[in-house]
Amino acid sequence: MKIILKLAWRNIWRNRRRTLITISSILFAVLLAIIFFSMEKGTYEQMIDSMVRYSTGYIQIQDVMFEEEPSIDHSLHYDDSLQALLARHKEQIEFYVPRLQNFALVATENVSRASMVVGIDPGLEDQLSNLSENLIAGRFLEDGEKGIMIGSGLAEILRAGIGDTLVLLGQGFHGATAAGKFEITGIIGLNIPDLNNNIIYMTVERAQWFYMADNQLTSIIIMPKDPAQTQLIAQSLAESVDPEWHRVLTWEEMLADILKLMQFDMASTWVMMFILYIVIAFGLFGTILTMMIERQKEFALLFALGMKRSMLAAMCFIESLFMSIAGTLAGVAASIPIIIYFVYNPIRLSGGMADVIADYGFEPILPFSSGAEVFYIQAVTVLIISFLIGLYPVYKVFRLDVMKRH
Amino acid sequence: MKTVIRTNNLSKVYKDAAAPVHALKNVSLEFIQGEFTAIVGPSGSGKTTFLNVIGGLDKPTEGSVVIDGVDIATLKESQLFDFRLRHIGFVFQSYNLIPVLTATENVSFIMLLQKQPKKEMERRAKEMLEQVGLSDKLDVRPGKLSGGQQQRVAVARALASKPDFVLADEPTANLDTESAFNLLDIMARLNKEENITLIFSTHDQRVIERASRVITLVDGAVAKDEAFDR
Repeated sequence: MKIILKLAWRNIWRNRRRTLITISSILFAVLLAIIFFSMEKGTYEQMIDSMVRYSTGYIQIQDVMFEEEPSIDHSLHYDDSLQALLARHKEQIEFYVPRLQNFALVATENVSRASMVVGIDPGLEDQLSNLSENLIAGRFLEDGEKGIMIGSGLAEILRAGIGDTLVLLGQGFHGATAAGKFEITGIIGLNIPDLNNNIIYMTVERAQWFYMADNQLTSIIIMPKDPAQTQLIAQSLAESVDPEWHRVLTWEEMLADILKLMQFDMASTWVMMFILYIVIAFGLFGTILTMMIERQKEFALLFALGMKRSMLAAMCFIESLFMSIAGTLAGVAASIPIIIYFVYNPIRLSGGMADVIADYGFEPILPFSSGAEVFYIQAVTVLIISFLIGLYPVYKVFRLDVMKRH
Repeated sequence: MKTVIRTNNLSKVYKDAAAPVHALKNVSLEFIQGEFTAIVGPSGSGKTTFLNVIGGLDKPTEGSVVIDGVDIATLKESQLFDFRLRHIGFVFQSYNLIPVLTATENVSFIMLLQKQPKKEMERRAKEMLEQVGLSDKLDVRPGKLSGGQQQRVAVARALASKPDFVLADEPTANLDTESAFNLLDIMARLNKEENITLIFSTHDQRVIERASRVITLVDGAVAKDEAFDR
């Protein structure tokens, strides 16, 4: 075996330039594929992370009708039984966040606008989404706070600031009229423009008072200790709630449409990567083919000296594997600093592209993913390709007619 | 005297040409241990085919080749690889050496395939390279050796594993006079010292003059078989 490895290693460096070109072509293809995949995956991860942190959480308990008709009339009553249920699962639940969410018309003296009111538990909400880090003026909501916190985009639209009073008008629980005056005590800047231009935060107790919805919540957001256990916890909760009134949803169910869209979009990424793999395959195959053609006499000599076909085939196979491994490792190594740089410094989009992304409610950046699968999927794919191409010389060696080459 | 090779009514017909080519016709010969035989004849007379068939590189259409009591025409390919490895040394006209291995590694190659002990292999390779006058080229690759030096390495390799016989297909054809004489001196000396049977196919008068037996092939058949006391 040692002599086969020695021969294979020296053979690939017989034509140094050709080998370097082959390895470089694999390197660049792997590098491009990794960058492409990392960008795509990073975008999806960021979208999911944003949605989970700011919107859905990992698990939600809702009224059975809320998903179909998201109205305060389909809110759930946060009674003793629900509290007891959550207490029974405290070993698996990191924390849970109550929310009461509804729409309202917000007005200043001169401007009015439809907006989204979210009643939150300030401490728990901050634990969920680090909301306080987005505070840009005033103070963050506190328990018992009577004022409100609004998005910086909304503040700009309303031309309102800290200390100003806003009038909110909406429909409360079971048709009640909701009306009230609220002082702006904080302004937050959210990365998602759609939210930033519309959101109003108040404490959940204040929202329940405003909408006349005592003890009502539109959702209870549950964050598991181990996100990988999401399905199990959701299943256990679902078995315990009254299915006539309550429903337990995972983030995957809540974001089903977006996940489907991502899967569809991922297909186009795979098409691009397939093209890169074809480039890798042909580059490697070209080199292997040339090496095979050039070395017919050498193979005949090796046969004559007593080297078996299996040894010769193994030598040729290892040569192609050496080049693939070298190119793949170099491609992965070259991609690591690039990916790390872009993970910490995502590309910020501007112009029309940024607007489109913002319209979908996401931060207009191109984030990168540094997950291990970004690297190993490419490495394994290229190695499989080289394995398949390496079978060609094996096939040729076993069919080689020594006498025609001698 | 021990018979090393015996061929019985050996025939070889190539059928893939426009018309069948009878490269060998009923060749029956015996080769004795220690003989230095030159196979001569015009181009296309069947010299190389004969060497290929008795070397197990090609199969006869008819007849048999018996080496050490074994009819090699009946062996399977894998058995033939082993047989060649243990019994036969080869020296070709050109492209004799593995270009990525040093002179020592080339000489050791067959012994390596035979799985001989490393130390013994290295000792024997060094000894053979010294015998062919290349003790200063042990770690040099073929690309940096002259044509004559490459052929001497090939001879060292063919003899290092102590085969029953060495087949040399026009080994001096590409060499200048001095290199050719050098190579022949070495082979003749090793033939005597190691009592190895040498069978050359050649056009080269210098080889013919040193051979103890000269077989002339014409149109695939033995036209003359002469012995000389040299």
